[in-house]
Amino acid sequence: MKPPNLFRKSAEKGLVYSLVMIFMMMIGFHVVAANLMSKVFGVTVLRGSIPEVRFMAFVHILFAFLFGWGASDRQRDKKSRIRQGLITSLTAGGIIALFSVLLNYLVEAQIDIRQYLTAFSADSMRYFILNQGQSGIFVLFAIYLFTGLLGTILAIIFQSEKAQTSRQSLKAKIGEAAQTFSDKMPTLVKKHWKYGIYAILVVVLLIMPMRWGSYYNFVASVVGVYVIAGIGLNIMVGLSGQLMLGYAAFFAMGAYSVALLNAPTPHGIMLGFWPSLLVGVVAAMIGAVLLGLPIMRLRGDYLAIVTLGFGEIIRILLKSDLLIDFTGGPRGIHAIQGPTLFGRSFTSDSDYVYLILVFIAISIFIYQRLANSRTGRAWLAIKEDPIAAQATGINLRGYKLLALIIGAAFAGLVGGIAAARNAFTGPNDHSLMVSINVLSLLIVGGMNSIPGIVLGAFALRGLPEILREVETYRQLAFGILLIVMMLVRPKGLWPGSRPVLEKVDEEVVEEISTEIKKPKRKRTHA
Amino acid sequence: MLNVSNLHVHYGAIHALKGVSFNLEEGEIVALIGSNGAGKSTLLKTISGLLEATEGEVSYQDEIISGQPAQDIVSKGVIHIPEGRKIFPKMTVVENLEMGAFLLRDRRLVAERMEAMFERFPVLRDRKKQLGGTLSGGEQQMLTMARGLMTNPKLMLLDEPSMGLAPVLVEKVFDIIEEINEQGTSILLVEQNAQMALSIADRAYVLETGRITLSGDALDLMENPLVIEAYLGG
Ligand SMILES: Nc1ncnc2c1ncn2[C@@H]1O[C@H](COP(=O)(O)OP(=O)(O)OP(=O)(O)O)[C@@H](O)[C@H]1O
Ligand SMILES: [Mg+2]
Repeated sequence: MKPPNLFRKSAEKGLVYSLVMIFMMMIGFHVVAANLMSKVFGVTVLRGSIPEVRFMAFVHILFAFLFGWGASDRQRDKKSRIRQGLITSLTAGGIIALFSVLLNYLVEAQIDIRQYLTAFSADSMRYFILNQGQSGIFVLFAIYLFTGLLGTILAIIFQSEKAQTSRQSLKAKIGEAAQTFSDKMPTLVKKHWKYGIYAILVVVLLIMPMRWGSYYNFVASVVGVYVIAGIGLNIMVGLSGQLMLGYAAFFAMGAYSVALLNAPTPHGIMLGFWPSLLVGVVAAMIGAVLLGLPIMRLRGDYLAIVTLGFGEIIRILLKSDLLIDFTGGPRGIHAIQGPTLFGRSFTSDSDYVYLILVFIAISIFIYQRLANSRTGRAWLAIKEDPIAAQATGINLRGYKLLALIIGAAFAGLVGGIAAARNAFTGPNDHSLMVSINVLSLLIVGGMNSIPGIVLGAFALRGLPEILREVETYRQLAFGILLIVMMLVRPKGLWPGSRPVLEKVDEEVVEEISTEIKKPKRKRTHA
Repeated sequence: MLNVSNLHVHYGAIHALKGVSFNLEEGEIVALIGSNGAGKSTLLKTISGLLEATEGEVSYQDEIISGQPAQDIVSKGVIHIPEGRKIFPKMTVVENLEMGAFLLRDRRLVAERMEAMFERFPVLRDRKKQLGGTLSGGEQQMLTMARGLMTNPKLMLLDEPSMGLAPVLVEKVFDIIEEINEQGTSILLVEQNAQMALSIADRAYVLETGRITLSGDALDLMENPLVIEAYLGG
């Protein structure tokens, strides 16, 4: 029996898939995708020109295959799975073909709608239908239908019980091999292999900045700054559950402290980097108290809006003509002096990478200690249920404020370092976008997890730098990445396992329970 | 032990408590009954410091506690078990109990108390590692009570412990309340189930739209025609 809604559901799926392709074309992303594809095949494309048409075909084939792969539900039997794949591929191919008819018409009639949709240049539209006009439409339809079906069939084969059991047995074999391998290892290695990995990581991190040149050092320091910022924001959002959208304001407090105290203009105080940085951290902490006290009672959306407003107020103040003599106004502050250590001043990019690495290590240490402490448990309880937390004797306001203060301190620190590194800071370095980026890296990477934060910072700050060519599409890529992320891994790339609270060790409980039980038993025997 | 005098509480323009006065002596179970929206939960929250009174005061063991922060009141031995089973859903049973002992720093003592809780609530022992949010309603109620007992309170403010429980479980919860009381914890009990509440209470108060309208010995109130009509389904 065919389930009644199978047809409708599959058609809906096909519709969604085709809309993905149409959306891609409308923003011109199909050219970028073909570009990437050509890179995969090692063919370089001149900047600004459109890659060979076969790469566009490969992109269509790839997506059609993925659509077909995703078309059917694992739980269903083979026959209905094929049927699902067929319906989905037909719908997707059909709609894409219809859309292509429209494109073809626009091209042939030479209608220019570029003023509405910049990607709708004749070249780009024609490229989508493989530069073929009408016959291209049939080719597209065929690609989506047949490659889609192929995808479905391969999915069925790959996900069949046989394939799964054979994969499982392979996994088991590998597991066994690993087991015997580790059994043969000396106990010393067995116990401490983790530290070995850490050691290798540290050595790599120490050597890389000297080897890979100043561009990657620049990227590394940007990512590093965001890692520290992410850890700080995670204390506010991930640990204590307070949604903060004005995080960049604390950044600004650190950056401007260093700038105002350690740059020749506008004040020329030249206090030195380290004392200025300390002032910056303290300033951010004081800022957190001033913001925190009035907002303690707010939750959820209200908290988000107020903190967002706070961030914007700080930025606008820095930018305003009112304070231009004091803060340098919209033009910001230049020639901020960097640190000196042991009489040596920080000049090269790699110096800053090392500096940031040291602070990342310190941040991770502080974060881990906090997350697993009594304070961390109080935060977790507050995040889960503030009323219950209060009823168990947790100082709600105190702990929430503490989270804000510590998180702000991280931001102040990193703001100061970044200002010195760039030898510049200005109002636009502390815009809402910065706050949102830090928050996004937590969402993409995964809350409450150091590896997650590092991954998130890399994905959001490092990748776009490395993929300079797709710079124009960075915001778009963020958007798509975020959406896909939320669908595929709603908790982030590498979400944290909740800190384990077991302060009371089981052994003590067992011991006590036997102690308590003993006399009882005696009594019954007597 | 607990003295509440002329207590007023506002939620913005809503005047939820309009001059409530009552007292509770050491060792008593005092029941507080009233219909929905009468202000019972508001009263408990104000005593435990979750809400602030606009007028009047609460004193506990001859010390004014109204105006003090909630955690200070908890540390004096007053524990509030809020309505609606406010457990920590993503913490295990053991972790929930640990949170109950947040103010205790002696690990051995915490372990001892936890063991005592497992003795009293055996269902919890079987579910040590289960997340609070996945417990059944009844188990969650047991867990909130156990968590409250972790600090060995002198006074317990219980808000509708029988809400949504099957009759058998209701009996059991009330048995446990009596037991806790026998071991020296005074209890202020808010209940919709007036029948049960009055049957274990020493004294009771009736709260109606923010005012206390009746008070007396629990047994007397059980026979009061007004109470029978309004709360005992008579
Ligand atoms: N946070 C709040 N904001 C505004 N009004 C509130 C709030 N909490 C309670 N109230 C109002 O105060 C009054 C008393 O509420 P309360 O929760 O104390 O009643 P209750 O006696 O516990 O009722 P129930 O038996 O239904 O739990 C109600 O009219 C309620 O609507
Ligand atoms: Mg209530």
